[in-house]
Amino acid sequence: MADRRRINGPPGGTRPPVFASLQESSTDIANRAQRQRQPTELRKIFLKAGLIPTASGSSYLEFEPSASLAAARSNPKSLIPPSSALKLACTVHGPKPLPRSAAFSPNLVLTTHVKYAPFAARKRKGHIRDASERDLGVHLETALRGAIIAERWPKSGLDITLTIIEAEDDRWWGDAPDSHDASWGMMNVLAGCITAASAAIADAHIDCLDLVSGGVAALVSDDSSQSASSAPRLMLDIDPAEHRSILSACVVAYMPARDEITELWLKGDSSRAALDRNDGRTGHEALIDGAVDAARGANTVLAEAVRESIARSFA
Amino acid sequence: MSRHRIKDVDYDDDDFYDDDDELADPEEQEFLQQCTTAVLQQLRAGQPSVTATKEEVQDALWHYYNDIDKSVNYLRGKREKEAAKLQKSKIQPGLPVPAYPAPPSTAHFSAADFFRDCPWLNIPSHRKSEILIEPLYPRLGLLGGAPENGGKLSKLAALAAARKKKEGEKAPSLSETPTPSTPKLEQPTPLDHSGTSRSLRDRLAASGRSTPKAPEGPGSLRRLATPSASSHPIPKRPEAETKRPSVPELSGSMQRVVLEAKEEPEPQQTMPTIRASPSTFASTIVGAATGPTAAEPSHLHSTSSDLLRIYGQDHAEPFDFAAPSPDDVVLNAQNAAKGMKSKSAATKSAAVKKGQSDLADGVKELSVEDKVTVKSKNLDVISEYKKSTRKRSANFVVIGHVDAGKSTLMGRLLADQGAIDQRTLDRYRREAEKIGKGSFALAWVLDQGSEERARGVTIDIATNQFETDKTAFTIVDAPGHRDFVPNMIAGASQADFAVLVIDSSVGSFESGLKGQTKEHALLVRSMGVQKIVVAVNKMDTVQWDRERFEEIEQQISAFLTTAGFQDSNISFVPCSGVLGDNISRRTNDPHASWYKGHTLIEELETSEPYTHALEKPLRMTIGDVFRGGVQSPLSISGRIDAGSLQMGDHILIMPSGETATVRSLEVDSQPSDWAVAGQNVVLNIANIDPIHLRSGDVVCRPSSPIPTITSFTAKVLAFEHLMPMQVDVHRGRLHVPGRISKLVASLDKASGAAIKKRPKIVGPGVVVRVVVEMDQAVPLEAPTRVVLRAGGSTVAAGLLE
Repeated sequence: MADRRRINGPPGGTRPPVFASLQESSTDIANRAQRQRQPTELRKIFLKAGLIPTASGSSYLEFEPSASLAAARSNPKSLIPPSSALKLACTVHGPKPLPRSAAFSPNLVLTTHVKYAPFAARKRKGHIRDASERDLGVHLETALRGAIIAERWPKSGLDITLTIIEAEDDRWWGDAPDSHDASWGMMNVLAGCITAASAAIADAHIDCLDLVSGGVAALVSDDSSQSASSAPRLMLDIDPAEHRSILSACVVAYMPARDEITELWLKGDSSRAALDRNDGRTGHEALIDGAVDAARGANTVLAEAVRESIARSFA
Repeated sequence: MSRHRIKDVDYDDDDFYDDDDELADPEEQEFLQQCTTAVLQQLRAGQPSVTATKEEVQDALWHYYNDIDKSVNYLRGKREKEAAKLQKSKIQPGLPVPAYPAPPSTAHFSAADFFRDCPWLNIPSHRKSEILIEPLYPRLGLLGGAPENGGKLSKLAALAAARKKKEGEKAPSLSETPTPSTPKLEQPTPLDHSGTSRSLRDRLAASGRSTPKAPEGPGSLRRLATPSASSHPIPKRPEAETKRPSVPELSGSMQRVVLEAKEEPEPQQTMPTIRASPSTFASTIVGAATGPTAAEPSHLHSTSSDLLRIYGQDHAEPFDFAAPSPDDVVLNAQNAAKGMKSKSAATKSAAVKKGQSDLADGVKELSVEDKVTVKSKNLDVISEYKKSTRKRSANFVVIGHVDAGKSTLMGRLLADQGAIDQRTLDRYRREAEKIGKGSFALAWVLDQGSEERARGVTIDIATNQFETDKTAFTIVDAPGHRDFVPNMIAGASQADFAVLVIDSSVGSFESGLKGQTKEHALLVRSMGVQKIVVAVNKMDTVQWDRERFEEIEQQISAFLTTAGFQDSNISFVPCSGVLGDNISRRTNDPHASWYKGHTLIEELETSEPYTHALEKPLRMTIGDVFRGGVQSPLSISGRIDAGSLQMGDHILIMPSGETATVRSLEVDSQPSDWAVAGQNVVLNIANIDPIHLRSGDVVCRPSSPIPTITSFTAKVLAFEHLMPMQVDVHRGRLHVPGRISKLVASLDKASGAAIKKRPKIVGPGVVVRVVVEMDQAVPLEAPTRVVLRAGGSTVAAGLLE
């Protein structure tokens, strides 16, 4: 039956046409988002736990809009925003008894659902979770399972639902797809999901080994000229719309107090990383270290948000 | 002990030799000394030279009965073994295979350290099996996590606890010797126990203890991890930079940042916290308390335009999710509208009350199905019936033994009366000859089913109509096979009179008499049929032998008279169904010139009109439920037993108790507005689910429903021996399992007076009053004829009381 209660958007994507000549023009180059942060500087994160009283735990997370997005919002030149900033909400229901039909489980059964809102990305998403969303759910489950002390709740289930309200772009909207393209935005989304879910789990008072937070690092090559100096550089917390080409990226879910990684996702070719001369690490190792650094940064916000929510619950 | 006893007895001198320590026998001692020195000399002289204590040597000598050579060999071997063992134990501590790898010396464990030994992705195949990375931390102990003071320990847990305690005693000695090179950093606690399996709880407790007193260096990991130190992640390893130059850094730029951070004593002040204030969107969710310092403008509008202000909703409050969602609001409103009762309107004014109760009634009447409203013409059916110039109608059932030619005879009758056209008949004939059953062609007029045609027997009753000048007849062709007697009962219940077909050919008549000829005749009589026409069929096969005919006539009439038919109601016609002689035309066969009586059709027409209970409440047994067509999605057929019916009537179906509406009806395949008892009708009905309809159910009026009962008393004529037993109760199409629970009394046939009360068993031919109980409720009422069958044969038939 058609959904008649809401005014639905068009079923497919509605991107305005972009002409090749326009892309080449210099004006458009100016419109292009540019990273104005330091390579190791993270975007600010807004995170608040305990918003939804009907859920046992909840959180809301958003990234600060990048400088170019903020500029475009204050002084719009185009109807199309240059980039997007992650916004997501997480709810945790449980621990609750497993249904009668479920098999016995001595541990807490973790179920993660990651769903993009239909309007979250530039290309509309359907109401049914697609492969990428299910993939994110699996990654998230892996990340959280390492942190939750599951054996304290036998025969129980925990449902973690994440709604992506605004997703990260995979590349700048005006770029034509090229060979380096992958769903880079998904990695930022996963990092956000991990941090938000961790806050929501803490808000639900579920025992964890540590607050697990997500971080992203990437190897990007921004220069269009193919000179020797344009070897890919390591950047923390990338906004994919701000970079011309992302060669590889890495997400980790990291528990700082234990110095443990519960989830590691590497993507792309990291063999051409330009590291310091006396840096003995390979590109992968540098990526992982960078992602861990980013996760540590996110953890400061996470810890503060959790502390606030706990204080509120005791107030 | 035993040795001492022996010694006391002083039984044998030999016993003393082994107690040389105690005995100060000088001779023995001297000999022992000599032997000892000899052994020691040999040991020293041998390659390699071996030393041994005097006690060892003397022990060996004692064991080997002072044999010097053997003692030397033994001692040499013993020394070699000891040496090998010693060597082994010397090597063991040197092996670099601890249970757990040595804790990493840096505070933060870098991915580079972790994968240092592993050539990334280009792993040579011969090395692939060797890169199993030992778990970095002690695994979670499976055991030893039991409560320390609460509850009784299980054996396994107790064992684990004992082990843990033992290892705990060892552990201090290990940890008391720290390597001087290790920096004095507070390690994550699990790391500083090598080879000690610890419970998760211990570890958690330990880390909890250690956290506050962690001696924090300027860039220790703890400090970063501690939430209070909300610092930028970058200045985390200045110490690593200085102390451990071998640890690789992120990049050049990062090093620069690190150095900068080192210069500043308080990095928190300069490094901005990465905690952001909520955006406009977030502040609508979070609420104004943590609202943004400056509202972020929408990218679509200029700075001055606020999204909320555009829609004039600047008073909008953040939605706090505690109130019902917009969906819930709508659903609740809908449910409230549906469930609104006149009760709620009681306080309102009268007009409002009326309006709402109307609404409530209207809502109540709403249903998913479309109600079909049929306007009744409100006819006076009885007077209509009397006015009508309809021909006299008569139903008759054709009965007889299997293969007596019932269907063929009726096929001939229909063909002769023009109810079947010649072309159809020719087609049947061709098809029948094709499968080698040419003589069955006429039977196919009535046997329509494929199985009936293939087997050549009638299985279910078939009805057909034909008309003569005076009467409209309905034929009910009943199956003759004994397996289908229930179907025959159904057919007989619709009949006014019966045509008994008898096979006159030699042998067949006799077998038929034993078979279903008698049973059928008894059944139709007990179903209330008064008049019977006996068609002596297949007379052509006996050359119209008059004697044969008269013999049959005599036997059958004698039987029928005993069965209860009156002589005046029995008539005999010799005929031939296949040839059509004496059916509707007289035979031309010269052998049959002796017969001057009626033809079969003439005999049928002599039947006087039958009166039906028109004034009684409506009763109609459903014969069949079917889908009539697009116009009439649900139809039932049957014969009206009593009462009358017209279009638009509401009817009640029993035993389901559901009502329906008569949409339209057909009488003898002709559309009609009304129908009366005795007519075969098809009712097209509406407003009922087909699952409530079964053949055998009874149609009646809601005002006078037929009762459904589970037990009844009946006066029955026994055909077989009767006793309390399991029986099937048949009434028309209806048949249900039941049992005779009690024989009340055997009765006198003529007067009906009780002869014997509570007989245990009654024989055939006895009229008996019985109580029958059934498992399920069945629509039955008093003057109904029922047939009781058991084990495939009819045991009794009679009248319900």
